[in-house]
Amino acid sequence: MKYSYYPGCSLHTTAKEFDISTKVVMEELGIELKELEDWSCCGGSVAAGVSHDVGMAMAARNVALAQKQNLDLLASCSGCYNKSARAAKALENETEKDRINTILSKMGISVSDYNIRVRNVVDVLVNDLDISSRIKKPLTGLKVACYYGCLLTRPADITGWDSPVIPMSMDKLAQACGAEVVDFRSKTKCCGGPILVSKQEVAFELTKKLLDEAKSLDADCIVLACPLCATNLELRQPDIEKKYNVSYNLPVLYITEIIGLALGIKPGKLGINKHIVSPKSVLAKLGI
Amino acid sequence: MVAKKKFLFGLKADRQIDGDKMNREFSDRVMAEGGEGAAIAACMQCGTCSGGCTNIDRMDMSPRTLILMVQRGEWEKVLKSNSLWLCTTCYICTSRCPRGVRPADVIEAVKAIAIRQGIENDSTRFNQIFVELVQKRGILFEPELMQKYGGLQAMLEQAKLGIQLTLKGKMSPFPAKIKNPKKFNEALEKAGKQ
Repeated sequence: MKYSYYPGCSLHTTAKEFDISTKVVMEELGIELKELEDWSCCGGSVAAGVSHDVGMAMAARNVALAQKQNLDLLASCSGCYNKSARAAKALENETEKDRINTILSKMGISVSDYNIRVRNVVDVLVNDLDISSRIKKPLTGLKVACYYGCLLTRPADITGWDSPVIPMSMDKLAQACGAEVVDFRSKTKCCGGPILVSKQEVAFELTKKLLDEAKSLDADCIVLACPLCATNLELRQPDIEKKYNVSYNLPVLYITEIIGLALGIKPGKLGINKHIVSPKSVLAKLGI
Repeated sequence: MVAKKKFLFGLKADRQIDGDKMNREFSDRVMAEGGEGAAIAACMQCGTCSGGCTNIDRMDMSPRTLILMVQRGEWEKVLKSNSLWLCTTCYICTSRCPRGVRPADVIEAVKAIAIRQGIENDSTRFNQIFVELVQKRGILFEPELMQKYGGLQAMLEQAKLGIQLTLKGKMSPFPAKIKNPKKFNEALEKAGKQ
């Protein structure tokens, strides 16, 4: 199987380990990824709230580029995935398609009738592949809290491969890796990502609740699939600790990283050394 | 202050979908901005959207009320509401609505209208800078976003994290860009003004 791979802005910068681990794990599992040539930002959760047409055109541009390659689009970042899937769906509606086409044609890009599917890496890993038969180093004894956030599984008419309110895909993947999954009740509560900068206090409060619950469940780490959630949960963790005078020191890992470890891939090859909150405690527990 | 509740035949007055009070003008405009996803005629004011909302306890107007106010054409109230900027577009409301209404998409469309109407606050400023910078090169350069939004102070506050990220090879001092940013920018600039 071959995909057109869309890394998005974050996977080339702050979420580098997600990019590295996605590529290494997919290669190990026999999936070929071809980076989408000349991709651009999907507009995130913000652009359509400034102008619907601008937001849709930003996301649709990448879908149109993947159409040209006749390949389904694979994104690891939940945001890029969600916005691209939304654009792909909009292209099935004649009115929306016309509006989008008008803008893209000015960029010299045309939307074709060849419909492609937009997939997320979690969807492919849980629904298309069987990782359980490939596990070489089971993550025995590791307690993980799987955090889905919002855009990975919502809304259901755009995503559709897991429950929008009680998703289980990452739980299943972590279990297949041999890890123990805690009952993380806040797993689909929003971390406040899109308002992190403009309403920092609110975002910190929302994120703190997630960290508190994961800690109270005695989780060794949080596992997720969204760089924006990781920005809140990991990169801002020291700020939240300082603001509320608490100490978490809770590693945050991408789902592809823990799968990579279970497949027997060396941590260095997965980019695990690139975290800001050190995942050493996780590796120590696994004896790696 | 808690607003005095008014009831009529057991139904809270602000919950009434009263034909006489409806005004299609605003909802038509919301739909013109956001497309079919912003249609709200099916809303029966059940309040499920508000029940699941991430930030409801900080909002001056619940998502349910906001939809009703759009239906009634209460422009001022809706455009001035802080709910627009507290919405994180997490789609809980949209996933739970039993009538297929998409409050998150409605709010998104209203945000765009509010910005065009000249509503200004930290959120509108951030959102506009974000879009402007994506339009410029096709790929966002975060340090520039930080600097444009928060100025020198934000840069200093984020300096430690910036250095950590740079040392880990997760932040380049040079922005990335697409092949033809000029064409990209022009096309989107024009679309945004319509």
